[in-house]
Amino acid sequence: MTVLFWILGVLAVPTLLFVLWLAWVFLKELFNPSPDEDAEAAEAAQAAQAAEKLGLLPAERQNTDLAAPLPAEWAGVLAAVRGGDWLPAADLLASIGRDWERRSWAAYLLAECAAEEDAWLLAWEAVRRDDPDAAVVRARSTVILAWKLRGGQRAQYTTGEQFDAFHRTLAGAREEVARAAALNPDDPTPYVAEIWVALGLGYPNARMDTLWEELTARAPHHYEAHFSALQYWCAKWRGSARQAMEFAERAAAGAPLGSLLTALPLIAHFEHDDSEDTAADNTPQMLARVEAALADAAAADPSHPRLPELRHLLAFYLHLQDRNEAALEQFKLVDGYVHALPWRYRNDKAGYYCRVRNTVVGEVAAQAAPAAA
Amino acid sequence: MGATLRALRALVLLLGFYLLSLVLLAALIGLDVLVFSWGHGPLTAKVGFVTVLLAIPVVRGMLMLRTPKGEDGPGIPVAEADEPRLWALVRDIAAAAGTRAPDRIVLTGEVNAAVSENPRLLGLLPGPRRLYLGVPLLTGLTEAQLRSVLVHEFGHFTGGDTRLSALVVRGRVQIGRVIGQFHEKADDKVAADRARQERKSAERVARGKKAKQVDTTGVGATYRTMARIYTAYGKFYLRASLSTARGQEFAADLTAARIAGRDATASALREIPVLSASHDFYLESYATLGLQARLLPPRGEFFGGFGRLLTARELELADLRSQLPEEPAGPYDSHPPIAERVRRIEALPADGRTDEARGAALALLSEPARTLAALEDAALADELLRYPRAAGWEELLDASMAAGLTTAQTPLHRALAGYTGQPATLPALLDVIDDGRLWRLAEKLPLSEEAAAAKGRAFREFVRPVLRRSLRTMVLAEFSSRSLLHWEFSWSRPASLRLPGWGSETGEGGPEAELEAALEAALADHPDTTRLRALLPPATQNA
Repeated sequence: MTVLFWILGVLAVPTLLFVLWLAWVFLKELFNPSPDEDAEAAEAAQAAQAAEKLGLLPAERQNTDLAAPLPAEWAGVLAAVRGGDWLPAADLLASIGRDWERRSWAAYLLAECAAEEDAWLLAWEAVRRDDPDAAVVRARSTVILAWKLRGGQRAQYTTGEQFDAFHRTLAGAREEVARAAALNPDDPTPYVAEIWVALGLGYPNARMDTLWEELTARAPHHYEAHFSALQYWCAKWRGSARQAMEFAERAAAGAPLGSLLTALPLIAHFEHDDSEDTAADNTPQMLARVEAALADAAAADPSHPRLPELRHLLAFYLHLQDRNEAALEQFKLVDGYVHALPWRYRNDKAGYYCRVRNTVVGEVAAQAAPAAA
Repeated sequence: MGATLRALRALVLLLGFYLLSLVLLAALIGLDVLVFSWGHGPLTAKVGFVTVLLAIPVVRGMLMLRTPKGEDGPGIPVAEADEPRLWALVRDIAAAAGTRAPDRIVLTGEVNAAVSENPRLLGLLPGPRRLYLGVPLLTGLTEAQLRSVLVHEFGHFTGGDTRLSALVVRGRVQIGRVIGQFHEKADDKVAADRARQERKSAERVARGKKAKQVDTTGVGATYRTMARIYTAYGKFYLRASLSTARGQEFAADLTAARIAGRDATASALREIPVLSASHDFYLESYATLGLQARLLPPRGEFFGGFGRLLTARELELADLRSQLPEEPAGPYDSHPPIAERVRRIEALPADGRTDEARGAALALLSEPARTLAALEDAALADELLRYPRAAGWEELLDASMAAGLTTAQTPLHRALAGYTGQPATLPALLDVIDDGRLWRLAEKLPLSEEAAAAKGRAFREFVRPVLRRSLRTMVLAEFSSRSLLHWEFSWSRPASLRLPGWGSETGEGGPEAELEAALEAALADHPDTTRLRALLPPATQNA
């Protein structure tokens, strides 16, 4: 019988330990409750209400495809194109002419449509052979298609089939880019498209430098070109954190006020900042960068198509630097459209945007309350 | 460590195996005694039964004293009268290495040379010795390299490695067998349990209840635990004997360099992995090319073609020789990495024997062609030997490609049959394309998750490669069935396709480029089959 007792004894020890642990957890929760989730939720709801009072939109009403509203005329053109009518698109690009910022943006939006279905573009190309506008949309659409085939996942979650299609399509796009560039030798837009080919096919740095010379000779302070090239120089693509920041600082320093290139150092910082707290965002350098970007935004043409993108970044960093009132100013200017950095890398862009924005609204209200009292 | 010490260690390690078995048996008996004195009735019976079951493999492992007799692999034994020069070379080398010449020489079909000896009385008395010599090795090595390989093998005997290794090998084999037995029993038990559960499940279904998931996790765990104990000891055993084994290899290499020359030894070491890889490739892509069409290469060519492949791909091989494997073949492989062995040999001072015996080792045979033919009879399965022989490599290629094309079932075949409900034919496919329903058909192809989720241009891009490959196969099969295709055989390149010239219509790239362009047009976003139809033999177009 002794053996039986021994066995029971051995079995009893873990049971006893478990019961003691349960009791301890119970007592701890009784005297020192963990923060109530309900209270947090209530606070969030309050902030959301306050935001709504200011005329800011809830997450489900945020546009997640754009960084800012499109000019009314452009929205009409895109709708026409989706219906198969290419003439308005041709007219739009013709009327934009040599405004390279707008041309590259319009070409991108049209190309996005053509990457889905390109029957209208084929019709355009059939009627107007060697139209440089159609050619630039064609080149951009194939590059966009290639990136769609790849998908947005990191390399390890991307299948061989996806990479195959990606590389095949990009390789084909090179010819189209060259054709578009040849048809309109002054236009920097085909070179902007080629940067994304460079990213995908992994151009060596020297080749990228050559491409960059071609591009800046045509448009020295082009926002989309700089944004794209900065991606190339990021550590996740073909450069490093140092190369990216150096590129961004150089571009920002050499650009006239109002060109919005002060966004680049902020983006370079954002792309390589893995820290958990906000210390890295509050260095004197970062404070100065935000200050420069604020001045840049104030000096920019209010209809600059990329201005809202800078404002999204500013709102984010002003908040991280505890300048919530200034952040709220920026949020009010861009609210309703969230397809911009820093939100657009998240799956739930609108949710992320609204959480940060509502925090800002809450903070501002909390600061105002004692003053009013 | 001297030979005696090594022998002693081998003996201790082997005894450790018996000790482990005895301890396990004692533990089982102890358990029985314990249960017998404290327990009662059914429990005692059950425990007793289980311990006896577990004891059986242990006891059997201990009683299996004899290592299994190595059987002669497939090969042709050659007498001294048949191959006087080979025998003379072998005797010469054995004498130079200071050991006894083999009693038999067996020529095999592998890239390998090995000397085996079945020692008697636990390796205390020498036994009959055999030299296995792969004919592909003779094909790829020069005479000097062959000498080096042979010295290496005989060198193991001079160092006394092999006689003592009988003990090491015995231990290894025995542990392996016991582990195997336990796993086998566990597998049997799992199978039995699965059958029982499935029977039960079937009964449940028969009674109108839901079937239960068959779950055999945990079954046979006792057997597996026993196997794990032996596996742990086996690993320890191997690791303990490994450094010795690797040291012996280096020593044998040094002997080879001393007797056969430094350069011949280094180059032979470089050559063997290259030959081994080339031979695998040769078997897969050339020798067995016709199996699908139930054809063999001409007599003597099954092993004979290897030499021609080596000559034709000399440049590629030179490249391969410079990339040596840095890793050993496996964690318990007794050979050190080849790269390390080559480094050690090449570090020796030059001995000025670079230009010795550069002739092919195969020329040592009195009648290489006869040997190559005879080897086929010995090394190939009877079933293969009954296959008819092609007249030449060219014919073999044509016949096997034609057979492959006629029986090909591409994903497009299946999609088309599923879409039309008719047998999949090329004319039917072209009609579907002309009706503008190619992309509807494409939805029936096996799609990856990403392709299935894609729409419009992206979807078409995803399915285009498989469509292209399949359509190409279907078109080629059409040509092939009309004997319009010809394949160009080459020892140095993959087989290339020769299409019939299409007269004056063919563009600058020749008929191949024309075909590719026609395929592309037929699978474009807005497909156009006109060019493809123009290329096809008339009968297809009327269908």
